[in-house]
Amino acid sequence: MDSIFFYIVAATAVISGILVVGCKNPINSALSLIMTFFSLATLYVMLDAPFMAAIQVIVYAGAIMVLIVFVIMLLNIRIESGKRYMHTRVMGAILGAVVLIETLYVIMRPASQNLTGGKGPVDAAMVLNVGHTELIGRALFTDYLLPFEITSILLLVAIVGAVLLAKRKV
Amino acid sequence: MDLLMPVVNFGAIMPELILSVVAMVLLLVNVFLKTEQKAYLGYLSLLGIGYSLYVVMTAWGTPQTGFSGSVLQDNFALFFKGIFLVGAALTVLIADQYVRREECNYGELYPLILFATVGMMLMASGTDLMTIFLGLEVLSVSLYVLAGFNRKNLKSNEAGLKYFLLGAFSTGFLLYGMALTFGATGTTRIAEIAKVAAASSAVVQNPLFLVGMLLMAVGFSFKIAAAPFHMWTPDVYEGAPTPITAFMSAGPKAAGFAAFIRVLMVALPTLKADWTDLLWILAVLTMTIGNLIALNQDNIKRMLAYSSIAHAGYALVGFTAGNSIGTAGILFYMLTYTFMNIGAFAIIILVGKKGEPNNNVSDYAGFGFKHPVLALVMTIFLFSLAGIPPMAGFMGKFYLFSGAVKAGYVWLAIIGVLNSAASVYYYLRVMVFMYMKDPTEQFDWVKMTVPVFITLIICVVGVLGAGIWPAYLLGLAQNAMPF
Amino acid sequence: MFEYVWLIPLFPLIGFAINGLLGKKIKNEKIIGGLGTVMVVCSFIVSALILLQLLGLPGEERHFEKTLFTWIQSGNFKADIGFLIDPLSVIMLMVVTGVGSLIHLYSIGYMHGEEGFYRYFAYLNLFTFSMLLLVLGNNLLLMFVGWEGVGLCSYLLIGYYFHKKSAGDAGKKAFVVNRIGDFGFLLGIFTLFWYFGTKFNVWTINFHELALQSHLLSTEATFGVITLVTLFFFIGATGKSAQIPLYTWLPDAMEGPTPVSALIHAATMVTAGVYMIARMNFLYIKAPQTLMVVAIVGAATAIFAATIGTAQNDIKRVLAYSTVSQLGYMFLAMGVGAFTAGIFHLMTHAFFKACLFLGSGSVIHGMHYALHHADHHEHCAHAADVDPQDMRNMGGLRKQMPWTFLTFLLATIAIAGIPGFAGFFSKDEILWQAFANPLHGDLNYVLWGLGAVAAGLTAFYMFRLVFMTFFGESRLIPEAKKHLHESHIVIVLPLVVLAILSVVGGWIGLPKLIGERLGNIPNYFEHFLEPVFANGHVAAAEGAHLSATLEWGLMGTSVLIAVVGISIAYALYIIAPTVPARFVARFPRLYQLVYNKWYVDEIYDFLFVNPCKAFGNFLWKGFDVVVVDGLVNGTAFVVKNTGGGMRYLQTGLVHNYAMTMVLGVVVIVGVYIFR
Repeated sequence: MDSIFFYIVAATAVISGILVVGCKNPINSALSLIMTFFSLATLYVMLDAPFMAAIQVIVYAGAIMVLIVFVIMLLNIRIESGKRYMHTRVMGAILGAVVLIETLYVIMRPASQNLTGGKGPVDAAMVLNVGHTELIGRALFTDYLLPFEITSILLLVAIVGAVLLAKRKV
Repeated sequence: MDLLMPVVNFGAIMPELILSVVAMVLLLVNVFLKTEQKAYLGYLSLLGIGYSLYVVMTAWGTPQTGFSGSVLQDNFALFFKGIFLVGAALTVLIADQYVRREECNYGELYPLILFATVGMMLMASGTDLMTIFLGLEVLSVSLYVLAGFNRKNLKSNEAGLKYFLLGAFSTGFLLYGMALTFGATGTTRIAEIAKVAAASSAVVQNPLFLVGMLLMAVGFSFKIAAAPFHMWTPDVYEGAPTPITAFMSAGPKAAGFAAFIRVLMVALPTLKADWTDLLWILAVLTMTIGNLIALNQDNIKRMLAYSSIAHAGYALVGFTAGNSIGTAGILFYMLTYTFMNIGAFAIIILVGKKGEPNNNVSDYAGFGFKHPVLALVMTIFLFSLAGIPPMAGFMGKFYLFSGAVKAGYVWLAIIGVLNSAASVYYYLRVMVFMYMKDPTEQFDWVKMTVPVFITLIICVVGVLGAGIWPAYLLGLAQNAMPF
Repeated sequence: MFEYVWLIPLFPLIGFAINGLLGKKIKNEKIIGGLGTVMVVCSFIVSALILLQLLGLPGEERHFEKTLFTWIQSGNFKADIGFLIDPLSVIMLMVVTGVGSLIHLYSIGYMHGEEGFYRYFAYLNLFTFSMLLLVLGNNLLLMFVGWEGVGLCSYLLIGYYFHKKSAGDAGKKAFVVNRIGDFGFLLGIFTLFWYFGTKFNVWTINFHELALQSHLLSTEATFGVITLVTLFFFIGATGKSAQIPLYTWLPDAMEGPTPVSALIHAATMVTAGVYMIARMNFLYIKAPQTLMVVAIVGAATAIFAATIGTAQNDIKRVLAYSTVSQLGYMFLAMGVGAFTAGIFHLMTHAFFKACLFLGSGSVIHGMHYALHHADHHEHCAHAADVDPQDMRNMGGLRKQMPWTFLTFLLATIAIAGIPGFAGFFSKDEILWQAFANPLHGDLNYVLWGLGAVAAGLTAFYMFRLVFMTFFGESRLIPEAKKHLHESHIVIVLPLVVLAILSVVGGWIGLPKLIGERLGNIPNYFEHFLEPVFANGHVAAAEGAHLSATLEWGLMGTSVLIAVVGISIAYALYIIAPTVPARFVARFPRLYQLVYNKWYVDEIYDFLFVNPCKAFGNFLWKGFDVVVVDGLVNGTAFVVKNTGGGMRYLQTGLVHNYAMTMVLGVVVIVGVYIFR
């Protein structure tokens, strides 16, 4: 049952991913992207990571995608003509096929029985008992405190940059 | 519920902290300054850089770890921090004249340079993949903005946007590589990764581990502009404001090497045979493509961009060697490269004028007769880049190639030396124009300001000093190599 | 005195600093030129004192090293700034500072009134400094620094008349060709250092230590590491000393001022390769195969350049090819293990070739002056367009320029190999060694044959030069002829000194055979150098097995060949001057082939230069622009829409860049997982 559900969700994610790059109308691309994000959120739930799923929906599918759609509508981007990027499409298709072959080869090899290596201390039972949010919070504020703090600098730089480049008069 | 306290050691990130605080103060002060007064921000940031450099120097020899092993400020990190700080200081010194002339004197310039430096320093001292990644992002985002800093200039806009798109793209590879490595080993601490891999051969044979290494290598190759991930370099170098080009060619490249070296050597020694193969291929490609294309460039900024690609190739030769003299050679080379390249760009800034960058090699016709001292200084930098003794560039190449010979890569050294022989041609072209063509211009607009003068003095002293007495610096670099 | 050896390079460096920094302000030519000359003379005096002190020591103690400070110290690798005094370096010192002083003095007169007089003297002093560093350096790396330094100065001085495009091009060519040689040198250092270190745990690049440890090496009968190392060094030598295949830069280098040609491109810098091999003799002797290559290249260069020399009309070009040819002799000597003979020829060659170049400079100077003044006459307004270096415009100059003629003639006799003159002793020694030395078996006779024919050609083209320039009817415009006169004393004086040296300089190295006849005069030169080559001594090199009759016979043969060469020149250019023209008319193809230097430059352009440029161009245009910038929307689109279409332009390019990156990733990952 689980695996059937997984395949359905995974297929949705892949197909909507293809649609993101395949659609001619940018709005359709954006909506497909939301679809992909939702599928990924579902996968997180299946992996016992409910907090991640929630964040995925709230931040990506919610905030970021709204922004993207907003920008598309504001700028009134025309529907792309298919001709211009023809050769990139062909090249992209070829490269994509090669990547697919490479991935399948890695997975199908008898040597790759156990692709996921060592498991960490967190498992499904622990998530249920302690709570995912708390686990992430602990990790962020103990072991990963420094990366977490660097993120604030990163955001500050991004804001300064955005203001500098976009503001009409500095 | 038990209360967990994070393990904090501010000493391990003191130089970063100082710069971050100074940068934030600058952002605040900036609000109150008029356009003509923005240079004060430069002086303030120099103070910050100076203090940070002082901290770096006093911390030499006393490795500190902090934040439960997220960072390790050892001599290796300190040496690189020194390089970044010197690069940042020199950039700040040459920036003012340029931004005034090009009328893009926005105060955000200085905080952004400082933030970029913070990012680089975190890359050098990061011992956790997340720290390294976030450091790289801080650096990259600052650089995207800096590349597009001259926002009224279309070329600068183009450079910023291109760099952003491609940089984000390459970040994807890097992050994916890190994720795969994490998946295979279950940890992001690089020392732990090595331990896990050494303990179980299943991990080493896991294709995810291998692919993770390859993708991380690709991500770092983009940062150091190694072929075939070098495409962005000429466009971005050409379009970006010249001081920023100088900055980008020195520090960030070194930062890329710092993280690259630490990740491969500390986290993935079990895959050494694999990544050595990759490195020499990259080295050969990078040197050859960089030099051959540089032969045909007329724009001096593009020429130096391709030359910087070639120089990354030389450094990769030392990395391939993997022994103490080769890797110490990289450290030495990165520091001296900072001097010679920023020096050369300082001269390029002087030769340009508002709206007329004068970036063509032929614009230097007769420069040697109108400004003999500046031309001599430029000659020193170009000779150093070409690797002619007694300039520092020669000693750097000497260490890198002798490291390769020592490790048994004689043919790699041969390719390297042949390449550097070919490179003389295009550096010499600039000199031919400076000294052997009649001047077509009066060059009367070339005015040297005090900060640029100081920059040139520092760079010349650095290039000649490290070339004639390299023993001290190389000794430091060898002390800095724990692996 | 040994302790003060560092003064020798210091003096010219001071001269360079003062002239380079203040020369523009000083302006007074006498002060600038005087300073430059005095500095080199000071070096000469110190060198001479050191020579005297060295002579006072017994042979085995003639070695001293003065270390100023440790330059590089990293692990096993150590290099000092240190100077080495031994008989070999002192001989080089005397040549460089002695001939150098004379040429500096000469330059004051020759360069009078030139624009950038101070620049010239600054460069010349810098050159002397670098050359002294090269000669005195006690380790390979320091020698390499000097090696690069002289290359740089050579480049600067060749391009001195930068207004002429050909001068700039020639400078660039010299520099780039030399860099090809330098890469060999550098690789030689690397390989030698690590080979010695890893194999014998001897980590050094110091010459003396290397020589002491050279007994560890065994002679390599087949191709081995030492053969490789010595070949690497030899590549370096071919670049600097203008041997096949890297000789093409030297004739072009004649674009520089004539004293520069005399100092750098005849007497000192170009002999650096010979010096280097002599310095490393203990290595070369362990690699007979390399020696064979050296000998063959030397002999081939000697004869090849000599043939080209016979057809040139530019007085300096003849001398340039002659230099290439004589350098070939020196390498021939090195290749047969006769290091002493090679260095001996290096010294005598420095005397007579410097004299010849300076003499030709005096002629050119006079011609230039005469033509320039004739230009002011109304009815020969184009006199200034006449090439003052072309021998076809000269003739009969001996009357107007007697001193120049006399000194030039003496030097010519010396180079032609007439007994009693310096060139005879050294050249004959080389030929004898080539014949008698059993190092290369039967190949020796071929080497001797090539050398002997080249000697005949040398005598021919040198006397052709003398006859065309100084004898016969004047072919100069009469107005110009009136202005022709002997050069200034500062020009003539060095000529006289060098001519005297060309005559007597050979007597310090008398062949044993002649020395015995003259009452047991020993070969001072050989004895002096003996300790240096003790390690690289080939017992049989003295040719002891062959009879004295044979040696007399060979000596007679080489004299005979020289006389024949001179006679042919006399017959063709004095008795029947129409014959050469008829010969040219008869064999136009052959003449064109020789006149155009066997088209070697064109062949190199075709084989190396053009493909390299084309490949770079292809990478850039073909790969970066066409493939990367997009087959469809790249180039064509850029041209069409440069103005408004920035947005499309950018996305197009970025697409392609990203595509290339993905391609790189896919290939790299693919190679690793499918292997």
